[in-house]
Amino acid sequence: MPAIKKLMLQNFKKFDSLMLEFDAGVNVLIGDNETGKSSVLLALDLALSASRSRVETIGYESILAQAAVRAFKRGPRTLDLLPTLIVDVFLEEGDDQGFYGTQNLAGAMTDGIRMEIAPLIEEFGATILQLLREDPDNFPYEYYAVKFSTFSAAPHVSYRRPVKHLMLDSSRIDSEYAAREYTRTVFSFNAEPAQRYSLENCYRRGKEAFRDNELAALNAELGAYQFGVRTSIRSNLETDLIITKDGIPIENRGKGEQCFIKTEFALRRHEAKGELHALLLEEPENHLSHTKMKLLVEQLANTAGNQLFIATHSSHICSRLDLRHALLLGSDQKAGRLRTLSDGTATFFMKAPDNNVLEFALSKKVILVEGDAEFILIEEMYKKYSEGRSPQADQVHIISIGGTSFKRYLELGKLLGINVAAIRDNDGNYQQHCVENYEGCLYNGARIFADQDNSRSTFEIGLYQDNQAACEALFAAGRKKLTVQEYMLKNKADAAFELLTRKADELVAPQYIKDAIAWIKE
Amino acid sequence: MDKRVIFAVAGSGKTTHLISCLSLEKRALIITYTENNHSHLRNRIIQKFGTIPSNISLMTYFSFLHGFCYRPIMQLQMNTRGINFRRPPQRNFALDDMRRYRDPSGRLYHNRLAKLIEVKGFLPVVRARIERFYDAVYVDEVQDFAGHDFNLLLEVSAANADMLLVGDFYQHTFDTSRDGAVNGSLHNDILRYEKRFKDAKIAVDKETLSKSWRCGTTVCEFIRVHLQINIDAHEDRVSEVVNVNTQELADQLHRDQNVVKLFYEQHYKYGCYSQNWGASKGQDHYEDICVILGAKAWKQYLEGKLHESVAQTRNKLYVAFSRARGGIYIAPDKLFKQFKT
Repeated sequence: MPAIKKLMLQNFKKFDSLMLEFDAGVNVLIGDNETGKSSVLLALDLALSASRSRVETIGYESILAQAAVRAFKRGPRTLDLLPTLIVDVFLEEGDDQGFYGTQNLAGAMTDGIRMEIAPLIEEFGATILQLLREDPDNFPYEYYAVKFSTFSAAPHVSYRRPVKHLMLDSSRIDSEYAAREYTRTVFSFNAEPAQRYSLENCYRRGKEAFRDNELAALNAELGAYQFGVRTSIRSNLETDLIITKDGIPIENRGKGEQCFIKTEFALRRHEAKGELHALLLEEPENHLSHTKMKLLVEQLANTAGNQLFIATHSSHICSRLDLRHALLLGSDQKAGRLRTLSDGTATFFMKAPDNNVLEFALSKKVILVEGDAEFILIEEMYKKYSEGRSPQADQVHIISIGGTSFKRYLELGKLLGINVAAIRDNDGNYQQHCVENYEGCLYNGARIFADQDNSRSTFEIGLYQDNQAACEALFAAGRKKLTVQEYMLKNKADAAFELLTRKADELVAPQYIKDAIAWIKE
Repeated sequence: MDKRVIFAVAGSGKTTHLISCLSLEKRALIITYTENNHSHLRNRIIQKFGTIPSNISLMTYFSFLHGFCYRPIMQLQMNTRGINFRRPPQRNFALDDMRRYRDPSGRLYHNRLAKLIEVKGFLPVVRARIERFYDAVYVDEVQDFAGHDFNLLLEVSAANADMLLVGDFYQHTFDTSRDGAVNGSLHNDILRYEKRFKDAKIAVDKETLSKSWRCGTTVCEFIRVHLQINIDAHEDRVSEVVNVNTQELADQLHRDQNVVKLFYEQHYKYGCYSQNWGASKGQDHYEDICVILGAKAWKQYLEGKLHESVAQTRNKLYVAFSRARGGIYIAPDKLFKQFKT
C-alpha cells in the first residue's frame, strides 16, 4: 500500500514553511486553534486530488500565505520576489520511475507529488509588472496558476493518483457539494471501473426506455416538439446517486449521524478491497455525542491497512488512538512527535479515564495537582501571589490528574519541553515519596513541590495548620464527633469550595505551593 | 551483467530479437531513436503481452534523455522549459557556462543536453536511477547515436544492469544529434567504431543477427557485390534483379501498385506508390521494389562502382535495396522525370 511519508509546505496558508513526517498507520494532528491542523489536511487533499478546478474553486487568494503576500508588498515588489506556494507530498517508494526524482523541497531522491501555485512570469511578466506599478496595494492573484507534477518533474494528472484518498470534513458535512463529492468517491472505490461504466450505461438506457415507453403516448400528440428526459453531465448516475441507511438517505439524518456513517462506510469497504489508501478526517468529534465518539474511535483504532489522518481537539480521540501517533502542531510552525513515548505511558493514556492530556500537551507551563481540593483553591492562591494576575493571563494551565500518575505526565512533558510544577502530598514520607520516587523523571523544566514536614502529610493538614483561624471559623460550628481537621479530610472538595467562596481573602497557601507558583512564573 | 552490442543486418529480425528478450519478470527499459520505431515496438509489445506491462518502459531517446536523465535530477535547479531542437548559434561559451546549453528562452539545446548531464557530474546519479528501476536496458537503432549522445550511451552502459544495444552500422542514415567535431568521424570506419564499444567493456556480437530473413540469396549477393556490405540470407531464395532500360517498362512500373518506388528524395512528387530511400528504414512489408538512381549513381552502378559513393548515399542505398523480399528493379531517374510535378 502506498503510504504518505512526509509533507513539506512552502507559503501554504499560515505556514511559510513546514515539514511533517507521518506514520504508515494512524496520524493524529493536535494543536491549538489556528495552528494549522486543517491546513495540513487541506494541503494533502489538494495535492493528492491533483484537481485544478478544486484549487481554483477555493481560490489562490485563500491558500497563498498572506504573510508572504504582505512581505512582498512591503519589499521592492519585483517579479522575482513574487511568492510561490508549494506542497510536496513524499510517498513510499514504488516501482514507477515517473514519481522518482529530486525535484522536491528537500532535494531528496524519492517518490512524490508536488502542487505548485506560481505566477506566470514568462507569459504575463510585462502585464504583472505594470499592474504592480499602477497600484502598490494590488497583488496579481489572477496571474497565478496551479500545476501538479511528480518528483521527477513530469506532469501529474489526477487519473494516475498513486494514493487514493477520501477527505471527510465534519464542518462541511451538510454542504451539498461535500455530500456529492463523498458519494462519488465512495462509489468509485466500491465499484470497479468496468462495473461503474456498465451501471452508468444501464441508468442512461433506463431513462431512454422511460421516454420511449411511458412518455410515448403523450409525445404522440405533440408533433415536432417532444418531451425527453435529461441525460447530461449534470444528470447521470453519479449525480443522482445517494447513500441510504435503513432506507433513509443519510443526508436526511443528523449531522452527527452523517459524520459517523460516512466514516464507517468509507472504512468498512476498505478492509475487503484496499481501494482506499488514506482517509483524512477533519475534527470527527464535531456533532458527535460522547457515546458515538467512543464508537467511532473504536472503529478508527481497529482499521488496519489504510493510513489515517485525523485533526482533532479531543483528548479522548487523541489518547485512545495512542499518543505516539500524535503530531503536535505548535503556534511557532514547529511540529513535535510523541513517537518516542514509552510503551507503558502510551498505554496508560489509552486506558486511563478520560484525561486532560491534550490540554497538557498544548500548554507551555503547567501546574499539576493531584485532587479536586487543590484544583479548586490553586487558582485563587495563584492570583494572591502574582499581584492579582490569573494563571490564564500568565499562560499557566492548572490540571488535576486525579491520583499520582505524575511520572506519566512528566515523561510527556519532557518530550514536549513543557514546564511543569507538580504539587503533591508527601503522604508521610517526603524523602521516599517526593524525592527518591522521581529520580530520573525530572528534567530542567520540571520540579516536584511537596511539604518537607512529614507530619503535614496531605494538603488539608497543611492548609488547616496555615489557616487555622479561618478554618475553625468556617467549620467548627456543628461539629460533634469530628475535629475541624478531620472534617476537612473527609470532605476535601466541599471544604475547599467553602474556603474559596467565603474566606478567599484571608487564605494563606502552604509554603511549598507558594514556591511552586513562584517557580512556574519564572 | 551482460553488456553486448549486436551488429545486425537488414531484415535479420532485430525487433523480434528485442521483443523475445522481454518478460513479465524482468524490469526492462527500451530506448529507440525514431518515433516510427517507437510506435512499431509499442505495437509489438502489445501483441506479445496484450498490453504494455508495468515492468516494461518504452521511451524515445529524447524522452529518455530529458524525462528520465535530466528532469528528475536537475529541472528545478536549472529552471528550463523543455528542449530546443534547433542548432545552437555559432557563438562559443565556456563548458560551465549555462548559455552553452540553454537558449535565451530557457530551452535546452537538444545536442548538448547529454553533455550538460556529464558536465554537471550527474552521470553516477543517472546510472543509479537506471539500477533503481531496471534490470535490463535495450537500445535499438544504436547506429544513429552520434555526438554527445554516443558518449552518454557508453557512460550509461556502465550501470549495474544488463545492457543490449542493437543496430546496423550501415543503416546509419540519421544522427540523434551533432555538436561540432564531437564524434564527427565515429561512423567513418567500422573497426574503430567497434573498438569504442570494446573499450567501454561492451562485447561486440556480429553473429547472432548476421543473416537476413527478409532478403533472399540474390538480393544479398547484389548488396555484397554492388555496395560491398556483408549480408547473408537465411533462406535460399532466388529472385530477379532487373535493370530498367525502356520507357515502356518504367511506365508499367510507375502504374504498378505492388512495386514500391524508392527515390533519393521528394518521392511524393512522382505521383505513385513510393517512399524515400532513408525513410524506408524499418519498413518490412514490401515485396518487389524499384530503386530509382540519379544520373551519377546510375553511371556508377553500370560501371560496378556503386560502393564508391559517399557513405551517406551508400547507407541509404543499402536501406533501400534491403527492403526487397522479392526482386529488385533498378531504374535511372531520367525515365521517371516525366512523372515529376
